[in-house]
Amino acid sequence: MIAPLAHAGHWITDLLTVVPVVIVIAVLVIHSWREKRRGGGTGPVDAPPPAA
Amino acid sequence: MATLPDAALAHGLVGRQDLPIPRWLFGWAAAAVLVASFVGLAVLWPKPRFEQPSERRVASAPPVLEWLCAAIGVALFGLLVYAGFAGSQTTTSNLGPTFIFVLFWVGLAVASPLLGDVFKAFNPWRAIARAVAGLAAKVSREGLPAPLPYPQRLGRWPAAFFVLGFAWVELVYAGRGDPSNLAVLALAYAAVQFVGMSLYGIEKWNDYGDGLAVYFGLFARISPLRWQRGTLYVRRPLSGLSTFDPVPGTVALLCVMIGTTSFDGFSGGPTWGAISPELTDALHGIGLSQATALELAFTIGLFGAVLVVSALYRLGVLGMQRESGVGAMTPAQLAGRFAHTLVPIALAYVVAHYFSLLAYEGQRVAYLVSDPLGTGRDLFGTADAIVDYSWISATAIWYVQVGALVIGHIAGLILAHDRALAMFSDSRVATRSQYWMLAVMIGFTSLGLWLLSAANS
Repeated sequence: MIAPLAHAGHWITDLLTVVPVVIVIAVLVIHSWREKRRGGGTGPVDAPPPAA
Repeated sequence: MATLPDAALAHGLVGRQDLPIPRWLFGWAAAAVLVASFVGLAVLWPKPRFEQPSERRVASAPPVLEWLCAAIGVALFGLLVYAGFAGSQTTTSNLGPTFIFVLFWVGLAVASPLLGDVFKAFNPWRAIARAVAGLAAKVSREGLPAPLPYPQRLGRWPAAFFVLGFAWVELVYAGRGDPSNLAVLALAYAAVQFVGMSLYGIEKWNDYGDGLAVYFGLFARISPLRWQRGTLYVRRPLSGLSTFDPVPGTVALLCVMIGTTSFDGFSGGPTWGAISPELTDALHGIGLSQATALELAFTIGLFGAVLVVSALYRLGVLGMQRESGVGAMTPAQLAGRFAHTLVPIALAYVVAHYFSLLAYEGQRVAYLVSDPLGTGRDLFGTADAIVDYSWISATAIWYVQVGALVIGHIAGLILAHDRALAMFSDSRVATRSQYWMLAVMIGFTSLGLWLLSAANS
């Protein structure tokens, strides 16, 4: 238990680095969930062109 | 990069960084820039611009220049192999290791997006094959047999395999600092390329099979310059990427490119420093020698990094499929269609992770050209040159690294947005389809910054 605490300075900084990723993913998950609740989801889209 | 003893120092940072804000705050700022770029693209980039790229011819070079470049490439290859066998076996005294791992692997990767496909012009095994094929065609009365059709399913898998192999030698192989080992590996690599070219044709193999040619060729597609048969064309930067074909193995190759660079950074940090001894001991405990256990531990780490990068990209593709409702395409097909967006990210990782190596260790060439074998010669009077670690500060290097990561990921976002606009006629669907790709780009940026911070901590 001492080792993780002793290295807290490292992993807290590491955690701070990934905060933007967590925020963006949270926003996307909430957005998807709200879309689903509204029953909207995604409509049909054009068929993609053949691969180049 | 333990290949060069001092390179480990240079690959991290020499001297103390004097940054105005904490390193993690750079990650937040980079994420904010990417989100702002995403919004800007949604508003200001309503139509695809890269799908039908145009270029114009600006100059042409005499055919002799092409052969001169090829001859230089062959001569350099010969010198490196000779130095490997006949020269000093001290890593930093022999031209081989510095040339291969710094000037060639990193320097050409940086030069290609600026100058176009430089490697193709100097590629020694392509030059030898073309010369032999030309000679054989003249000598043979019936002409040379046509090459076999390149198997579609093989795609860029051979290139992915070779790039992974090169990275393995660079990051894992215990004998990587030994010039004679490098010379043997260079000859073996060339031999395999000769077989590939003789089976499937010189240009076909260079476009898909030769790992190094494909690696530098992908970076060259970023360039506004394109050379073809002695003619120079100018095009919009990045536009060369939208036309490359997503054959099988392309996504794997790009994940290898990003994953192996990531592992190089990760293996220099405290997390791997804690995991590696435990893993090595466990492998040693099942009967492997200490050296083999260490190599295997690093091999597992290398493959793990590639898998993590693949999983991140897969996440973005699945999110894209979900948000856009493209049921007609499988995730693998969708991954291929957006694979080109990973090229600027791979370049950003190379610049971010190896810029300090190029800036410092690249200077060794000054004395190595005068004494390529490390035998005490002084051909050009520069044998006493030393590495100047003070010409660029640690802080300046940090800014270059962060700048490279941000610019590379913005370029990835631009390419993804442009491709989405071409695929979906409704621009709102196109923008929505990129939500998860934005998350992936921010993820890659944060990962890159974390790796740099870890390596420098």
